[in-house]
Amino acid sequence: MQNSLATVDGPRQALPFLMGGLPIMTQDLRKDPALTKDTDAQARSNLLLRALADCAAGNQAGVDAILASEGGQLLGVAYRILARHDLAEEALQDAMLQVWRKAKQFNASTGSARGWIFAILRNRCLNILRDGKRLSTLPPDELATLQDSRQSIVPEENWEILAGASRIRDCLGGLDSQSRHIILLAHVAGFSHAEISTRQDVPLGTIKSLIRRGLHALKECLT
Amino acid sequence: MTNLSDEIIALSDEYVLGLLSPTEAALLEEVMARDIELAHRVGSLRDRLLPLDLSAAPVDLPDGFTARLGDQLRTKDQLSSVQTATSVPPEPANLNVAPKKWVTGLLAASITGLVLGLGFGWMQPMPEPKVVAVLLDANGVPQAVVDDYGDDTATVRFVADISVPADRTLQVWTLPSADMGPRSLGVLTGAAATQLTFEDLPDPGAMQLYEVTLEPLGGSPTGRPTGPIIGKGFAAQQT
Repeated sequence: MQNSLATVDGPRQALPFLMGGLPIMTQDLRKDPALTKDTDAQARSNLLLRALADCAAGNQAGVDAILASEGGQLLGVAYRILARHDLAEEALQDAMLQVWRKAKQFNASTGSARGWIFAILRNRCLNILRDGKRLSTLPPDELATLQDSRQSIVPEENWEILAGASRIRDCLGGLDSQSRHIILLAHVAGFSHAEISTRQDVPLGTIKSLIRRGLHALKECLT
Repeated sequence: MTNLSDEIIALSDEYVLGLLSPTEAALLEEVMARDIELAHRVGSLRDRLLPLDLSAAPVDLPDGFTARLGDQLRTKDQLSSVQTATSVPPEPANLNVAPKKWVTGLLAASITGLVLGLGFGWMQPMPEPKVVAVLLDANGVPQAVVDDYGDDTATVRFVADISVPADRTLQVWTLPSADMGPRSLGVLTGAAATQLTFEDLPDPGAMQLYEVTLEPLGGSPTGRPTGPIIGKGFAAQQT
């Protein structure tokens, strides 16, 4: 912690995400159950901001702190997309290397640290999935299993489990079922336009416009 | 207020969903680095979709994962730019997410500020470059972006996955004029974003040529580019 505080005093130009200052959480707030959830979220947000500041300053404690707070969830996302523990661990390892290297570029005014970290992990998973050379080392039957398990991540029925109780769930619920299914296939299972087109037997252009229309409606609803 | 083209916004949505090719995604990140409003849009959609990621069942980290990662960070840091691949693989055209030419063209134009309503001039976090060049490979696929600040410093960032054999280096060049011939802006051991500081050169101008070549370790022995061209492109004036 000492190191991260030292970082806060460091050159602010290089760490734009600290410019707003780090709100201080007090114990008193936690006594009110209605506030606990918000306070937890704030505490997590502060922890991740400090962790990224540590990474940016070359202090590995930042990586440890991110893994301690988010490691299990990050590995869970990677496993859901990649369906193999070895690939999921490889993705998380690569993602954390990128977080370490790119931490200086993170700008907290544009979004949460958590969203940024999960996006890096998802991108890494997608790169593994789309790297033909990487996957060609797998036996054909395992490759087939991997592809099928991705398809089954996103059921047409009972998709609500994918969104938890949140605004995104209400908004996804408001979309037509085809757009919703396709958006979830892309975001949750990591399918490309072309893969979705083949699997759903719908022309590529139609898939693209369904996604664009769906996303547009989703953003309107979320705003 | 900025006036982002609808197409760039749609591409940024697809970026959040993970639908862009790695090259397209890297180019979009370059646009975001120059356009805070686009970065806000991406961050906002990303945060709103985050509950989808949080719905995955957590998986315990295997024993020793954090320690192994720590070891890797230390080793990789020392060897940060030494890579082991032996060739420069082109991005295959038949990938299901191969970059689409119009998309890379549009994003490259956004980076150089050529798209109407996009470009520099608001909340620019960094000093403004005098010229920007997007360097393309022989297939027209963007590989790198050079920002030249006109004060004998420049930055180069790579938007494609370029493997540099252990016995080779990347070298960045520009051609200030036919009389002067090509001048080196710097030698890189790997395709990592790098700040370059070089000899006193004339102010960079529009349509000035920039390129990155693969050279023997330590840089070209002749002082002129000798190796295969990784990417080249003409500068667009920014100010």
